Amino acid sequence: MLKLLIPTLMLIPTTWATPKKWLWPTTLAHSLIIALISLSWLKNMSETGWSYLNSYMATDSLSTPLLVLTCWLLPLMILASQNHTAHEPINRQRTYITLLISLQFFLILTFTATEILMFYIMFEATLIPTLIIITRWGNQTERLNAGTYFLFYTLAGSLPLLIALLLLQNSAGTLSLLTLQYATHPQLLTYADKLWWAGCLLAFMVKMPLYGVHLWLPKAHVEAPIAGSMVLAAVLLKLGGYGMMRMMPMLEPLTKELSYPFIILALWGVIMTGSICLRQADLKALIAYSSVSHMGLVVGGILVQTPWGFTGALILMIAHGLTSSALFCLANTNYERTHNRTMILARGLQMILPLMTTWWFIASLANLAFPPLPNLMGELIIITSLFNWSWWTLALTGAGTLITAAYSLHMFLTTQRSTVPTHIIALDPTHSREHLLMALHLLPLILLTLKPELIWGWTA
Amino acid sequence: MNPYILATLLFGLGLGTTITFASSHWLLAWMGLEINTLAILPLMARHHHPRAVEATTKYFLTQATAAATILFASTTNAWLTGQWDILQMAHPIPTNMVLLSLALKIGLAPMHSWLPEVLQGLDLTTGLILSTWQKLAPFALLLQIQPNTSILIFLGLTSTLVGGWGGLNQTQLRKILAYSSIAHLGWMLLILQFAPSLTLLALLMYIIMTSSLFLIFKLNQATNINTLATSWAKSPMLASIAPLLLLSLGGLPPLSGFMPKWLILQELTKQDLPLAATFAALTALLSLYFYLRLSYTMALTLSPNSPTGTTPWRLPHLQTTMPMTIFTALSLFMLPLTPATIVLLTF
Repeated sequence: MLKLLIPTLMLIPTTWATPKKWLWPTTLAHSLIIALISLSWLKNMSETGWSYLNSYMATDSLSTPLLVLTCWLLPLMILASQNHTAHEPINRQRTYITLLISLQFFLILTFTATEILMFYIMFEATLIPTLIIITRWGNQTERLNAGTYFLFYTLAGSLPLLIALLLLQNSAGTLSLLTLQYATHPQLLTYADKLWWAGCLLAFMVKMPLYGVHLWLPKAHVEAPIAGSMVLAAVLLKLGGYGMMRMMPMLEPLTKELSYPFIILALWGVIMTGSICLRQADLKALIAYSSVSHMGLVVGGILVQTPWGFTGALILMIAHGLTSSALFCLANTNYERTHNRTMILARGLQMILPLMTTWWFIASLANLAFPPLPNLMGELIIITSLFNWSWWTLALTGAGTLITAAYSLHMFLTTQRSTVPTHIIALDPTHSREHLLMALHLLPLILLTLKPELIWGWTA
Repeated sequence: MNPYILATLLFGLGLGTTITFASSHWLLAWMGLEINTLAILPLMARHHHPRAVEATTKYFLTQATAAATILFASTTNAWLTGQWDILQMAHPIPTNMVLLSLALKIGLAPMHSWLPEVLQGLDLTTGLILSTWQKLAPFALLLQIQPNTSILIFLGLTSTLVGGWGGLNQTQLRKILAYSSIAHLGWMLLILQFAPSLTLLALLMYIIMTSSLFLIFKLNQATNINTLATSWAKSPMLASIAPLLLLSLGGLPPLSGFMPKWLILQELTKQDLPLAATFAALTALLSLYFYLRLSYTMALTLSPNSPTGTTPWRLPHLQTTMPMTIFTALSLFMLPLTPATIVLLTF
């Protein structure tokens, strides 16, 4: 554990001591090395499920894929941010990289914490760097509004969670993930216990986000700089799913009935946000709403509480993390050239940036869950487990899949095909940096098709 | 002000609080509070500005009312029970009377309306004394009496609510700090009967955090949000740290401001008061909103400045920066020291 935490921490002095010229290459190389070392976590040898155990931290097959995703994302964020921060003073660039690194540090601690309260503190700690990234480096003035929404939606959900956790600590006597399943469970009978159930899950549902409490997400995504969008879509949303999966065993008898409205809301959200995507003119908002739609499926998969549901949810989270981050990067390459996010103003880019179209094609296919990518695996498993729970869900999930395919194609066709608008005459050609960025997003996704048991979670 | 007179006044300020700390007799405690009040009045009116004089008068009237009520309550207590001991407040009527007058003295809702008005009329140094040192003596008394729990919780919850709500509409930093003080004092009162050591902890953390903010505002010579917006040109490093400080005051983990809130919520849930805990936690969001607004103007946006106005950071500061540095470091990174702090303050 420390072999990754200490290098991550030492990356901060590295950032401040490196000469200006070598700042981006050094941090990139160093973070890539950390990401490569983190791959060793995937070799899970332990028979108890927990490995790399010390007194505060451990990994298991649920947290490992998310951890590796977190570590993998830092070099990608550094690669993606080089262009738009290039004109800023050097100290501000260093601060920006420091924020990204601190985010990785907090995220590693979140996913490895064995104490739920430690998880909670680190879960909240990720808010501060993200808030600063969004509100300091965003482009429009609406970023302040977006930051406020982001902070207050999350906190309004997670303060009840803190109380709920403290109540659990009082009744069970421990909050350690290692021992909590052996602790005596309180009888959950009263009306107050149902509120407690809601308190335990609400924070994560806001973070996912569930349809209805998702309004902060499109705002944050649209206003955040590219690294902010990437980490938000790839990892921070997954904190919600991870937290829900961790809390589920504690909420045992209540979830069976209480989860009905939330499953329905999640699946309804898939349809609604998908429909919003169909008529969306803003490229980044489209990708953000597509995230909400996919996360709706994940919430559904987690709430039916079958092993298949959990597996599907984890696979979809990892696959969606890479896909949506890739899509945000692609949207950003367009934004850096045309300086707007409106799709209709940057059409037909295949004529101008043909190789980028390949990446757009693969990323769009991944977004619509094309076989044999892990996205399909995740969606299929979730849809199956939901179908097993109730036949009627197929109407919603089926329609959701159809709409997802429709808006992914709509996005691809609008940005890449059709005629080039006349005002687009002098675009920069693509950089190798951007191709590397896309390759590093999509290659792991394709390779995971060959060994999906790495992200299967507890069933593996 | 003549340095001899200033020294005498500061000595009186220290003496009053110390006498209250040391006394077990109500009369002596009351005397300490009065010495304290009388010593700070000339400091408040030091600048002969109508606003300062008005603030001094308001402060004098409220403190005198509170002290008279304390005197009355302790006399009643002596009359009812036959002794003057602070720890032996057996009868509920004088106890609650003392509680309410002490609440008026430190400015708890619903007896809070004097505090923003008075603080707004003071300069930042006196304001700092008012919101830190002046709270100590009343708290020493509050910790020794055993008032009614439901009144305490009522005072605590109204204070967190009013402190959050009142600050929302303010543009003056000292008023915002006053409302933040009201909200924090509310948290301390909530826990007073269940875990007095946590009250002390919360008071300590509040003093640390509010001192660093006052000192930063003093360094920037900022008394309203607009002035704060150009503080990035005066000291860029402080301007970038200040948002963290404000969020710490708002109680966001992993900063030290989370420590008292966390422990207080834990104790409240242990005492079967999850509803009060949830309410207090959610009212903290109201306070967080104006802290967040301050951090937006201070560091997260760059306000336009004239070319000559962008370089004041090159000039040396006249203020001693060491206390500010220590307080700032403490108010950011003390969360890992939670166990040590609890041990230190348990009695």
